[in-house]
Amino acid sequence: MTKPLFGFWDGQKIDMRDSGEPDRQNAAPILTGLEEFDSANPIKAFIADRGFLVFDEQTDLAAAFHQYMSQAAQESCGKCTPCRVGTQQISDLLAKVHQTQNLRSELADIVAMAEHMAETSLCGLGQSSGRGLAAAIRHFPDAFSMDEAADGLQHSYTYVTAPCIEACPAKLDVPAYIDCLKDGKPDHALGVVLDKYPMAASCGRVCVRFCESACRRANADGAVGIKMLKRFVADQVSEGGREIILKKPQAQAAAGNKRVAIVGAGPAGVTCAYHLLLSGFKVDVFEAGQSAGGMALVGIPSYRLPKDVLKAETEDVIRSLGGMIYYGQKLGKDYSVEALVKQGYDAVFLGFGASRGTLLGVDNEAPGLSGYAAGVDFLLDVHNHVEHGKKMALQGEVVVVGGGNVAMDCVRSALRMGASKVHLIYRRTREDMPADHEEIDAAEHEGVEFHFLSNPSHLIIENDKAVGVELLQMRQTERDARGRVGVEAVPGSEHVLRCDLVIAAIGQQMDRDVLCAEDDITTDRWGCIQVDADTLQTSRDKVFAGGDCVLGPLTLIHAMDHGAKAATSIRDYLLKGRSQVSPEARMQKLLAKNRLLRSDKPTITPIRIDRARVPELDAMERVKNFEEVEQGISKNAAYREAERCLRCYRVYSMVTRYPLAADTSASPQSSQHAV
Amino acid sequence: MKATINGLEVGFEASDTILDVARRNGIHIPTLCELHDINHSPATCRVCLVEVHQVEGAEPSYLTACDTAMGEGWRIMTRTPVVREKRRVQMEMTLADHHQDCATCSRTGDCELLDAADSVGLQRVRFQRRPLATTALDIPENAAIIYDQTRCIRCLRCVTVCREIQTVDAFEVVGRGAKAGVRIRNADSAGESACVACGQCVMVCPTGALTERDQTQQVVDYLADPDIITVFQIAPAIRVGFGEEFGLPAGTNVEGQVVTALHRIGADMVLDTSFAADLVIMEEGNEVLQRLRKGEGPVMTSCCPGWVSFAEKNYPEILPHLSTSRSPQQCLGSLVKSYLPKKMGVRADKIRMVSIMPCTAKKEEAAREEFCHDGIKDVDVVLTIREFARLLRHEGVDLKALPATPFDSPHLAEYTGAGVIFGTSGGVMEAAIRTLYYAVNGKELGQIEVEAVRGSEHLRSASIDVGGDVGQVRVAICHSLKAARSLVESVKAGESEYDFIEVMACPGGCIHGGGHLRGKHRYFKQVEQRRDALYSADRQKQVRQSHHNVQVQKLYEEYLEHPLSHRSHELLHTHYRDRKHPACADIQAIWQELDAHRTTEEA
Repeated sequence: MTKPLFGFWDGQKIDMRDSGEPDRQNAAPILTGLEEFDSANPIKAFIADRGFLVFDEQTDLAAAFHQYMSQAAQESCGKCTPCRVGTQQISDLLAKVHQTQNLRSELADIVAMAEHMAETSLCGLGQSSGRGLAAAIRHFPDAFSMDEAADGLQHSYTYVTAPCIEACPAKLDVPAYIDCLKDGKPDHALGVVLDKYPMAASCGRVCVRFCESACRRANADGAVGIKMLKRFVADQVSEGGREIILKKPQAQAAAGNKRVAIVGAGPAGVTCAYHLLLSGFKVDVFEAGQSAGGMALVGIPSYRLPKDVLKAETEDVIRSLGGMIYYGQKLGKDYSVEALVKQGYDAVFLGFGASRGTLLGVDNEAPGLSGYAAGVDFLLDVHNHVEHGKKMALQGEVVVVGGGNVAMDCVRSALRMGASKVHLIYRRTREDMPADHEEIDAAEHEGVEFHFLSNPSHLIIENDKAVGVELLQMRQTERDARGRVGVEAVPGSEHVLRCDLVIAAIGQQMDRDVLCAEDDITTDRWGCIQVDADTLQTSRDKVFAGGDCVLGPLTLIHAMDHGAKAATSIRDYLLKGRSQVSPEARMQKLLAKNRLLRSDKPTITPIRIDRARVPELDAMERVKNFEEVEQGISKNAAYREAERCLRCYRVYSMVTRYPLAADTSASPQSSQHAV
Repeated sequence: MKATINGLEVGFEASDTILDVARRNGIHIPTLCELHDINHSPATCRVCLVEVHQVEGAEPSYLTACDTAMGEGWRIMTRTPVVREKRRVQMEMTLADHHQDCATCSRTGDCELLDAADSVGLQRVRFQRRPLATTALDIPENAAIIYDQTRCIRCLRCVTVCREIQTVDAFEVVGRGAKAGVRIRNADSAGESACVACGQCVMVCPTGALTERDQTQQVVDYLADPDIITVFQIAPAIRVGFGEEFGLPAGTNVEGQVVTALHRIGADMVLDTSFAADLVIMEEGNEVLQRLRKGEGPVMTSCCPGWVSFAEKNYPEILPHLSTSRSPQQCLGSLVKSYLPKKMGVRADKIRMVSIMPCTAKKEEAAREEFCHDGIKDVDVVLTIREFARLLRHEGVDLKALPATPFDSPHLAEYTGAGVIFGTSGGVMEAAIRTLYYAVNGKELGQIEVEAVRGSEHLRSASIDVGGDVGQVRVAICHSLKAARSLVESVKAGESEYDFIEVMACPGGCIHGGGHLRGKHRYFKQVEQRRDALYSADRQKQVRQSHHNVQVQKLYEEYLEHPLSHRSHELLHTHYRDRKHPACADIQAIWQELDAHRTTEEA
C-alpha cells in the first residue's frame, strides 16, 4: 500500500479516505520507492519536514507524532527557546493524548506551540519539525482521537539528517561536528568524524566536498567551510599538544577469535581495518607498497597532504589499535584471494584500488615510451623522489593532458620538480573541468599555462622519445537534447607543441593482473569488482570489496565510506551469519530517490558573514618546494565560520507495522521505538 | 537603502539588522539574549520578533530583529497585536523551563529576564514547567563561580565574553534540548580548566545562572562569634563603585561610609588594601630595580590573581618574569595573621580576615595552599562587592544614610595616593614609577601624575626616563586577558621589548572587576567615572608616594627591616607553578557522550 490515504504535503491536503480504491491508485504518487522499502512490513505512515502521509487507517497518529517529536526534542541543541521548550512540551502533551479528557484544548495548545516553533525557531530543526504536526491537527483533528493502533502493531524508525549529511558519501554528521566546535568541544568534533573514518586531517585537506555543494548557504554568502573546519579540529587536537587516545579495545570473545585480511592499505582498506579493529577483530593488512595511504599517499602530492599527517591517520592508527600491516605484499604476485581464504581468514576485504593510468588513445603512444608517462606513474615517481630521495630528473617543458584533480596534481608537481614551463591541455572549457576550482586557481597562480578546447591527436616521436604533441583546436557544439554542450575538432587546426615530457592524466583503470581465475571474483567489463551495492559482498562467500576497485577511480570520501560499510557487513556476517541492510541505509535511499533534501532554500537570506579564507603560502615561493600550500585557519576564524552553519536538520519518521531492522532481535541500542 | 518601521521611513546599510535600524531611530524592540556592548546577538531567546511585510499584499512574516538583515522596501511593524502576542508566547516558553523561585536567586530584584517579561506584557504562563535536574553540572567545591542551569536562558553571553574579551575560552556548551547548558571545560577532571575565575561571565549573565560562591553567611557567623576578631580589608576600587548600589551617582567616593557600615555590622577592625598596595610598591619596586640593573627584564606585575592564573595555565615559560611580590590582599592577610597578633597581643587563630574585593579570582587566590600555614589562612573569606551589598541588606544597613568615618587603625590602614590608584589599569605602573624615580634619584618625580601610562586603550606602552643609572624604562600596560595574551605573544616572538609590564585581567582593571556590580543590558558601564574618582582620591591625598607612607615606614622599622629582607620574602613574596595541562581525551568516552542523546528507549 504505497498510495497515501490521507495527509498533508507541501501545503496540499490529501484525503482519499472516501474515495474508492481505483481513485487512490490514480492519485499521483508523492513518494517513490516506498514499495521496495519493505515488502513484508506494511508502511503505516511517513512523517517529514514537508508534511506527513498516512497509508493505513490503523495508524495511531498521536503515537507516531509523539515518537517523532521526542526524537526532535533529543536532537534540539537547546539554545533557542521555541525549539528547546516546544519539542519537549509537545512531546509531553502527545504522550498524554490518549488519556486526556479535554482533547480539543490539549490539541489547541499543541498546534499553538508547533506553529510557533516552526515560525520562530533559530535553525532548521525547530523550523521544520513542527510543520507536519500542526497541519495534521489542523486538518485531521479526529485522527488524534482514535485509540492506540487497533492491531497493537506500530513501530517508528526516526532518522535525523541534513542536506550536507545526505550529500556526503560517508554520511558524516557535518552539523554535529560544527556544533561541537562551536560549543567549545573540539575533541568531540573530532569524535564525530572519527566515528566514521580515521583520516580526519587528511579528509580535511583534500576532500572534494559534496557537503559544501549541498550547503544551503551556498547560494547566499557562500557554503560553510566544512572542510576547513574539519581540518581545524583534526589539527587542533594533534598540534595543541593534546591527544586523542585510540586504545586497542578489550578482547571480545565473539569477535576476538575471528581474523580478517584486508588487501590494500588505501583509504578503503584502512577505514575497514579501523572499524573492524574497534569491534575487536584481528586484522592483517596487506599492502603492495612500502607505506600506507594508497592513492592518498602516491596520488596526492605532499604540498596538499603532508605525508606525516597521512601516516598518523593510517599506519599509526592501525598499529595502535593492534592491527598488523605487511608491506611489499602484492595481490596476484605474492598471494591470491584463494590463498588468503585457505590460510583461514574468516573474511577478506579487497580494497586494492585502481592504480593503472589510462592511455590517451592517440597515435604513437606506448607504455614505457621515453618522454611519456601516465599521471599516476609520474606522481608515484615524484613521491618516491620527494620522500625517499629516488633520483628523478625533470627539465624543460612539460605537457599534461587532462582536467581533473590528478592533472592539477601533475602540473603543480612538475613545476615543483623544476620544469621550465608547464602546459595543461584540456579538451573542454575551464568551467567544464572536473578539478576543484581552488586547485585550478592555485595552478594558475603558480604559472601553469592552460590550453582549453585543445586535444592531442598524436605524439611527436624523435629518436624513440616523445618530444611533443600534435594538438587540435576544439569548438563547442550546439546543445543536444539533454542540454549538454559537446566539443568537436576544428578541421585543419593541427599544430605542434614541443616539450620534454608528456603526461597523460585522464584517469586510472583497474590493474587486471591482480585477480586470477581461481580467486573466483566476478568483475565487470571495466575490470571493476562486482558487489552487492548494499553489503559490498562479492561473488565469493567471505569476500567483500570496496573503494576504487569497485567504483573505478573515485574520491577519498567514497573509498572511506566503502571501507566503513564493508566493516559493518563483515561484522554482521561474522557475528550474525549474514550481512544486512540497515534501516538507516533504507531511509537514505528513500531520501535520495525522492530528492527530499535538495529542494529547499532558506526563506530569509541570512546576515552576510563572508566565508573564512584559508591562508596560503605565496605562489612564487611555494613552487620551489613541496611544503604544504594551504595553512590552517585560526581559532577565531574557525569559531566564526562555525557560526555560519544554519543547522538544516530534518527529522523523518517511518511508521511501520513491524520494526524496520531486518533482524529484530539484534541491536537493542538502535533507535527503534516500539509504541 | 530605505524601509519603514511603524510607518517611519528609515535609511539603512546592507549590513544592518532590523534591530540596528530600529535602535538608531529610537524605536524600542524588546530584547533579552542580545548584548550590544560585546557585539553579541546569538538569536537564541527569539523575543525580538517583529512583523515583516516584504511584499505588499502577501502574508507578513514574523522574524527576529536581531539576526535578520533589513531589506530594501520592507515594511516593519513592531507593535501589531499579532507580534505582541508572539513575543508573549515566546516569553511563556522561556519561563516554562526557567527556575522561577526568584526569592532564592542571586539576581532577585535585578533580573533581565523579568524585565523582558515585563516589557512584552506577559500576563500568564500556559505551559507547565518541566523540572530540570542540575546534577549534570557538578561544581568543584572551591570554585569561585557557580553555574545554575535551571536559571540559564542559554543566551551564551558568558561564552562570548570568555572567548572574545578574555580569549580564555573556558566554557563548553553541553547537553541537548532541555538539558542544554554551559560548563567549564575539564572543571571536574584531573587536568585543570582554562578558567581563571576572572568573573567577566558573571558580569554579563542576564539572570542568576552565573554567580559567585556566596560566602556572606560565613562572614555573619564570624561577626556573631564573640571569640573571633573580625578584620576587614577593602580594595581600592570598592570605594568608588559601591555607592551605585545605593543609588549614589557613579564614581561617588563612599570610603568613609563603607568603614562606618562595617563597624555597624560588627567588624572589629577595618583596614585598607591600599595600604598593602603601598607596601607592594616598596617590595615590587625594589625587585624591578634589582632586575633592571641586572638586565633581567621584563618584570610583570603579579597583583592580579586572574592574570597570575592565566600565566600559570597558558604561559608557564614566562613565570620567572612575574614579580614574586604577593598581591596587596595577600600581603595584608599575611601581616594580619603575623604582625597584628604581636601588636595586639592576640592569637592569630582568633582572627578572621575578610576581604571585600571587586573580584571573583581573589576567592581562588585566598584559597591557594601557599597562603595557608598550620591551618590558618592569611585571608579567610573574600566577598565580592555584590556579596557585600547582600550582606548589608541582610543586616539592614543603608549605606547612603550613614556618616563617613575614617580608618582608625594605627596599623596597616593608612594609604597614599599611589596605593589607591591600584584599582585602575595603569595605576600600579604609575605608583611604581613614582617610587622607582625616588629610589634611583633620591628625589621626587617633578610631574607626579604620569600621564604617559594613563588611558583606556587595552594595550599601552611608554618609555619613562627614571634617570640615574637606569635611564629609560620601557613600560607596557594591558588590561583584559585578550590584550595580555597578545602582549605575551609579541614579547615571546621578540616583536616587542619591555622592562616592566602591568597586567590586569579585567577590562579597565579592578574598577570593572568580575566581582563588581552588574549592569543590565550593559557591559563596561561607568568605568570612566570610577577611574576618575580614583585619580581624584589620589589628588586629594597629601601623601602620594608609597615610600612616604608612614605606617609602611613604621612596619619596616619595627618588623620587616627593609624591602626584600628575609622576613619580607617570607611574608610578602610567593612562587608560581606550571599549571598547563595538556588534556587527553579518550575517544571511547567521547563516543559514549556523543551517543548518549541518541539512544532513546521509549516504551
